[in-house]
Amino acid sequence: MVPVEFYFMLACVIFTLGLFGALFRRNIIMVLMSIELMLNAVNLVFVAAGRSIGNLDGQIMVLFVITVAACEAAVGLAMVIALFRKYGTVNTDILRLLRG
Amino acid sequence: MPDFSSLMSHGVFHLLAGLITLVSVLVVVSKHPVKSAVFLVVDLFLLAAVYASLESHFVAAIQVLVYAGAVVVLFLFVIMLLNLQPDQLRGMRFNPVEAVTLIVSVIGMLIMLGVSMSGKPTGLGDGSMDVNAIEAAGGNTYMIAMKLLTDYIWPFELASILILLAIVAAVVIAKKDKKPVVS
Repeated sequence: MVPVEFYFMLACVIFTLGLFGALFRRNIIMVLMSIELMLNAVNLVFVAAGRSIGNLDGQIMVLFVITVAACEAAVGLAMVIALFRKYGTVNTDILRLLRG
Repeated sequence: MPDFSSLMSHGVFHLLAGLITLVSVLVVVSKHPVKSAVFLVVDLFLLAAVYASLESHFVAAIQVLVYAGAVVVLFLFVIMLLNLQPDQLRGMRFNPVEAVTLIVSVIGMLIMLGVSMSGKPTGLGDGSMDVNAIEAAGGNTYMIAMKLLTDYIWPFELASILILLAIVAAVVIAKKDKKPVVS
């Protein structure tokens, strides 16, 4: 069996890439997609760790994470549509009301 | 000398890991969001394959159904609904504060990785649900269903309320305003 640390390393790589996208992409849809990538990295850690310690709770937690991710995508994309309707852009350089 | 099946599983894992890394890079750096969404589908399918190789068949199926089937299609719908012009697709923004955020997060992750590699995981689970025990008790899906509908029944019901709320919220937020917007 592949050591669980390899899965953790893969998850770290995916999470870093997702964080990079969430921080540096300008398109707000790309930011949401990068967040999905980060959530997937966390799911991978849950499943791999649950398998390695012989426990099913990790997989159940993944199901809840997937539920929350689906809700987040639905509400986030609705907000993107509302923002685009109001401001005509999805660029995070222009949509900076909460940036301070 | 490692046996053949161990070599196989290592080979499969490394192949999948390499592909996932490559496709994740493509998701993040692709200029057009449609390309990114398609690469995201590929990424989610490959992750489902990893879950299947970890004997988590139910999670793999849900990953394909919900993530690749529903969430990414929602993304594609919105991308095509907005119909962005090419001048709105300019790629990256580099900001020193965010670069520092990324670097600190990566350092934190490396520390966690180091801690996790320094010894066996302890204090969690009794190891009573290893692969053979799950198979003997009726299989992965059956055991997840049993746990979900007994130990986790309240989170399960709350998740249904959360989904209902998300549906209502999405409709309300995306609804057209009747009155003119003052900005």
